[in-house]
Amino acid sequence: MKKNMIIPLFLFIAVYILSFLIKDTISVDLANKNQAPSLSHLYGTDWLGRDMLLRTLKGIQLSITLGMVTALLSTSLGLLLSILATVNSYMDKMVSWLIDLFLSLPHLVTFILISFVLGGGFKGVVIGLMLTHWPAITRVLRAELLQLQTMPYVQISKQLGKGFWWRARYHFLPHLFPQLMVGFTLIFPHAILHEASITFLGFGLSAEQPAIGIILSESMQYLSSGMWWLAFFPGLTLLMMMLLFQRFTNAFKHHLERDRSYEHYTNG
Amino acid sequence: MKKFGFIMLIIVIFALVGCNDKPTPETSAKSDQANELTLAIGGEPDDGFDPTTGWGRYGSPLFQSTLLKQDSEMEITYDLATDYQVSEDGLTWEVTLRDDAKFSDGEPVTAEDVIFTFETAKQSQSVVDLADLESIDKEGDYQITFHLSQPQSTFLYTLQRLGVVPEHAYDEGYAENPVGSGPYQLVEWRKGEQLIVEKNPRYYGNEPEFEKLTFLFSGEDQAIAAAKAGEVDVLSVPITMADQEIAGMKQISLQSVDNRGVMLPYLEPTTNGNGEEVGNPVTSDPAIRKALNYAIDREAIVDGVLNGEGTVAYSSSDGLPWGNTETAIEDADQNRAEQILTDAGWQRGEDDIFEKDGQKASMTLYYPSGDQMRQSLSLVFADMINEFGIKVITEGASWNEIEQKMHANPVMMGWGSHDPIELYSLYHSSMQGIDYYNANYYQNEQVDQYLDQAIHASTEEEANEYWKLAQWDGDTGMSTLGDAPWVWLVNLNHIYYINENIRIGEQKVQPHGHGWPITDFITEWKVTE
Repeated sequence: MKKNMIIPLFLFIAVYILSFLIKDTISVDLANKNQAPSLSHLYGTDWLGRDMLLRTLKGIQLSITLGMVTALLSTSLGLLLSILATVNSYMDKMVSWLIDLFLSLPHLVTFILISFVLGGGFKGVVIGLMLTHWPAITRVLRAELLQLQTMPYVQISKQLGKGFWWRARYHFLPHLFPQLMVGFTLIFPHAILHEASITFLGFGLSAEQPAIGIILSESMQYLSSGMWWLAFFPGLTLLMMMLLFQRFTNAFKHHLERDRSYEHYTNG
Repeated sequence: MKKFGFIMLIIVIFALVGCNDKPTPETSAKSDQANELTLAIGGEPDDGFDPTTGWGRYGSPLFQSTLLKQDSEMEITYDLATDYQVSEDGLTWEVTLRDDAKFSDGEPVTAEDVIFTFETAKQSQSVVDLADLESIDKEGDYQITFHLSQPQSTFLYTLQRLGVVPEHAYDEGYAENPVGSGPYQLVEWRKGEQLIVEKNPRYYGNEPEFEKLTFLFSGEDQAIAAAKAGEVDVLSVPITMADQEIAGMKQISLQSVDNRGVMLPYLEPTTNGNGEEVGNPVTSDPAIRKALNYAIDREAIVDGVLNGEGTVAYSSSDGLPWGNTETAIEDADQNRAEQILTDAGWQRGEDDIFEKDGQKASMTLYYPSGDQMRQSLSLVFADMINEFGIKVITEGASWNEIEQKMHANPVMMGWGSHDPIELYSLYHSSMQGIDYYNANYYQNEQVDQYLDQAIHASTEEEANEYWKLAQWDGDTGMSTLGDAPWVWLVNLNHIYYINENIRIGEQKVQPHGHGWPITDFITEWKVTE
């Protein structure tokens, strides 16, 4: 049970930490350009002789950092909005309307628009991702909160004169924590893949940053001259990382959703 | 009726068999219509085909013709004009027109049309610089005199670039429906897709061999795919794609002055009239600028980044009549670069990076992020220079951002023109901060003086002499030997794939802009069997 969770997470974090050991500028080596994958360059080299393995790891590092930041931001935004929705029915309508609005627009298009308006770059991508990935989790949290509010113990503490924020802090949050964690872990890979796709389309990070999306879009120019490794390995690595994380997420979700009523007995 | 059908069938069969029997020329797949040509060379003009707003600066204006032109040796020859005389003081230019030229609609080309063209171009104040043109007099139906307010040697190049438009057919929609006296006339222009032109039967010059030309404006990948399918006769490809084989096509690689170099801000940090930052604390030191020029290994860049499809550049006008050949230097000489820096008081710090009075030798090099060639050049430049001991950080940015930064930071730029006025625009102090010209705010009184003398010279030879002096007069100049406000790196070759059976003849050294310039001598292209 635990192994399911720990191994993928461990691998994932190991790759992330490994990428910090690489120095920031990957040196150009014109004598070894356009090399197919070999033992000395596992992922091959690009048209300037830069090692693709190092570039890919650097790209993964950037992607993970970006994914973390945006997942955190959009879960917080979701939490904030869902709590606001419980204040009164007017606020609830507002929030539901916003959710419907954002869900009715295609994700990627809104994202491109926001990122473009903000001038792209790290900031543009983060804000764009944050503003497009909150509705799903907000909807789940809102439903959860609507249910919670009618719970007897919440009603009682309300009658006892506890304020709204007190109830939010002591009754709602602990209950919502598992949902938040699941929401966070689900948004994370989503955000990374979306970052890679709009960067690939040219609306995201600047060509200077070592993102996977940049690597992939650069490689397009060289695919027709047969340099398949420029796109294949970075793409595959990104996919593997996301699958690893997905495995962790699933195991984690099961772990949180397990039926706790028996634990009491098994633990004695 | 039945019988008739039968006979038709027989005829058709024979016709088909007959086709098979013929020795099919290799081009058959491309054009059974042997004298049609399909070109995928890009270069679709945004503003249409109006010479007075800039159409036809490079390559053939197709629809129009010019007063003078340059041959492949860059010698001046006549086109619409049969003769021109410049007065001693360089202020009056008398031009005689040929009397047999007609526009494609049948009207003759007269002095009035020429006057109309130049006046329209002057009013539109676009890329065609006619600021010094004071007035134009009509001396006869085919005789014109231009009066300049001051002598201008580069007026000669304006006469070569400005296609003559017909006064009677010039209106709002002219740019999309050009009428002119050039070798071809417009059939159809579908914006963003293709341009179809056919031979102008009234053209006075050598009759072009091809009846009909189709220019495809699709993306690079589509163009290459079409060429591989045998549907394109002339294809331009970027250097990164130059290593392909396309059946039935041969590759030609044309030398160019389409240069790339690093623009170095010249002044100490300050601000200009608009409050923009100007100048850079590191590149304002001549020792740094020279050291950069000597430390870089241009040959390695040509081999490594351009796959040998280019030439080393030491100035913005290599190989042109006004380029000063003395200004070539021995580069890849890090010892010399180090010597220059040490003499100027720079010392290596702990991290091997040079520093002087607490100022690290460090700079940010900007490049336009969409341009992979400039990105590669920037990365390699930074790598070489970092190794030497000057810190260069590269940063990709949009042109908008670069415009904000370019007066205070080095930028990977590219120039290269067939008109020496470019030297004036790049280096004269009066051009500081105008568009992308003289973005480094370079200024040198002696250079300014030479440039003024060059532009106001009354003969071409005299002008070229001054252009060369401005680059290096033995004492000072705007080249690497002098103030070195640029690190010119390479001239990119322009690579085309051309149908094996087409001969395009000798070409000039190609200007900035890959694609349209190849049409320069399109009227002389031939099919060989």
